[in-house]
Amino acid sequence: MMVSLRGNRVIPVLALMALALLWSLDFVSVQPNRIAPGNGLGLLAAVGLPWALTLTAALLACALLALRPQQPAYWPILWLVSLLVLQLPLSLAWSIERHIGADMPYARVGIGAGYWSLLFLLGLLLIELQQRLRLARAWLLGSGIALALLLWWLAPQDWLEPLALLREYSSRRSQFAAALASHLGLVGGAVGLSLLLGGAIALLLQRYPGAQKGSIGLLSFIQTIPSLALFGLLIAPLSYLSAQFPWLQQLNIRGIGWAPALLALIAYSLLPIVRNTCVALAEVEAAVIESARGMGMSPTQVFLQVRLPLAMPLIIEGVRVTSIQAIGLTAVAALIGAGGFGTFIFQGLGQSAMDLIILGALPIIALALLADSLFSLLAERFYSGVGDDRAE
Amino acid sequence: MSQPALLRGGGWQPLLWLALLLAAALGLAELEGLFRLIEPDSRTVIYGRAAFIDLLGSHVLLVALAAGVSSLVGVGAAIMVTRRWGADFLPLVSQLASIGQTIPPVAVLALAVPALGFGSGPTLFALMLYGLLPILRNSLAGLRGIDPAVLEAARGMGMAPLQVLWQVELPLALTVILAGIRTSVTINIATAAIGSTIGARTLGDPVISGLVIGNTAFILQGAILIGLLAVAVDSLFEQLQRRAPGA
Repeated sequence: MMVSLRGNRVIPVLALMALALLWSLDFVSVQPNRIAPGNGLGLLAAVGLPWALTLTAALLACALLALRPQQPAYWPILWLVSLLVLQLPLSLAWSIERHIGADMPYARVGIGAGYWSLLFLLGLLLIELQQRLRLARAWLLGSGIALALLLWWLAPQDWLEPLALLREYSSRRSQFAAALASHLGLVGGAVGLSLLLGGAIALLLQRYPGAQKGSIGLLSFIQTIPSLALFGLLIAPLSYLSAQFPWLQQLNIRGIGWAPALLALIAYSLLPIVRNTCVALAEVEAAVIESARGMGMSPTQVFLQVRLPLAMPLIIEGVRVTSIQAIGLTAVAALIGAGGFGTFIFQGLGQSAMDLIILGALPIIALALLADSLFSLLAERFYSGVGDDRAE
Repeated sequence: MSQPALLRGGGWQPLLWLALLLAAALGLAELEGLFRLIEPDSRTVIYGRAAFIDLLGSHVLLVALAAGVSSLVGVGAAIMVTRRWGADFLPLVSQLASIGQTIPPVAVLALAVPALGFGSGPTLFALMLYGLLPILRNSLAGLRGIDPAVLEAARGMGMAPLQVLWQVELPLALTVILAGIRTSVTINIATAAIGSTIGARTLGDPVISGLVIGNTAFILQGAILIGLLAVAVDSLFEQLQRRAPGA
């Protein structure tokens, strides 16, 4: 093909963009204390000439290896990019070593735009390489988890201690754990309950197909209502109910808090689950069901052993969409006092504490990406399982 | 029979919702007696820091600007990577569009602050960036979903590449592209409302201010307006998609 003759043009573009941003933007910033404004340091000032030249050489090598005509050297590039990713915490530590003395106990180091750009572009390079080398998505997930574990191990080490993000974390370890628990609790509760409720609705709609269009229409109508509005609309009726019935207050059901958040999350979660389950159950071929009946299976057996397993991949896809959506919406629910990582974001916005905002936003992104990969893998597993059954 | 009236098609629907939205934006402030019932103990029961109609105007402006820019960039990028000379970038761009949509919009909005600061500008940037993804993804799906035989026939008729793009590809992909713009605008109306927390002037202001001072009437006023805006715009797109060629 023509494309392979002139090598890969994507990797050089990404590598050169990384170089340009790395050299033109601040790599890190140094703050004397939490309140004082940060002082930005470019790449050269932050890590010194040898380190800066090594990074530059590695990125240039990626570009050149990709331009090799006929067959770009994807595996060596993958090694180089992996090394560049692994050096990310080290280059931070080295900047800290160079700029924070023992006489500056309150000083903190912020991560600069150049550093974030490098991280982002290395991510794009990894996606490009994964595509070209046809590596499984599981491979990306695995290396992401490995990197996270490495960071988890590095984080408590002394040499990263002045990092502003870590300072924000270490001053609210227990709040972080509580936020993780309430975020996962709300998402899990909403997805679990709407799986039960949505499954029941989908089964009812199988029996009364006439109501299908209207119900799906109503659920998509709910989906168009913005989260802030739906949370807001639930506050007034819930606080009225809670004022009328004291036993609700004992359950901590009030106008604000977890109750309106969970209700709204379930309302949003129903559409993907009901729609996918309906489509999935309807798509199981009549001939398959007929032959199952012919084998003497009871209606319950046909449902549990034939229709449900065959419908599973699409149902899991519904759960995947719902979980990702719920992870984001729970972040907004922090505004109505439901807890979760959104609390850090909105506290950080209130105090203009940038690192606190990042401390809230990064786990939300990580959770969403993790849920996406896990459910995609699970759905793939079911697809291949279905294929095997058919082959027998 | 089973379909609720508000969901049935008809050209009058967007007009009805728009009329309701305008009536609410202009008239909510007159319903003091009604909101007094919800919030009997507060000194004020009507959000007074800005007129609702002004907030509606700046909310719509933010979303419209973002939608305009991200439609141009999204469709443009999709056209580029589906040409022969840009095909190298196709796998990366389509992966980026789908992985990017996994990231919650509120996280993008939050991260705009450390990068760009507070205000309407950073909000607009976050809306454009995030709103780009569904448009890009759908444009790619629309352009790549066209039967190659159709393109071959168009070329065989002696059409120049630009003519094929303009007269064949884009019209055939239009409904799918419109669906992407609709998703993007729906997400952005919701995200712009949350943009109040980073200092943008939107219909989220009454809700946030009501949450801060514990005034349910303010929250309700903002929520009603945001909800009406979202439903009105969505029904407008519903009609547009029905009238698009090939729908």
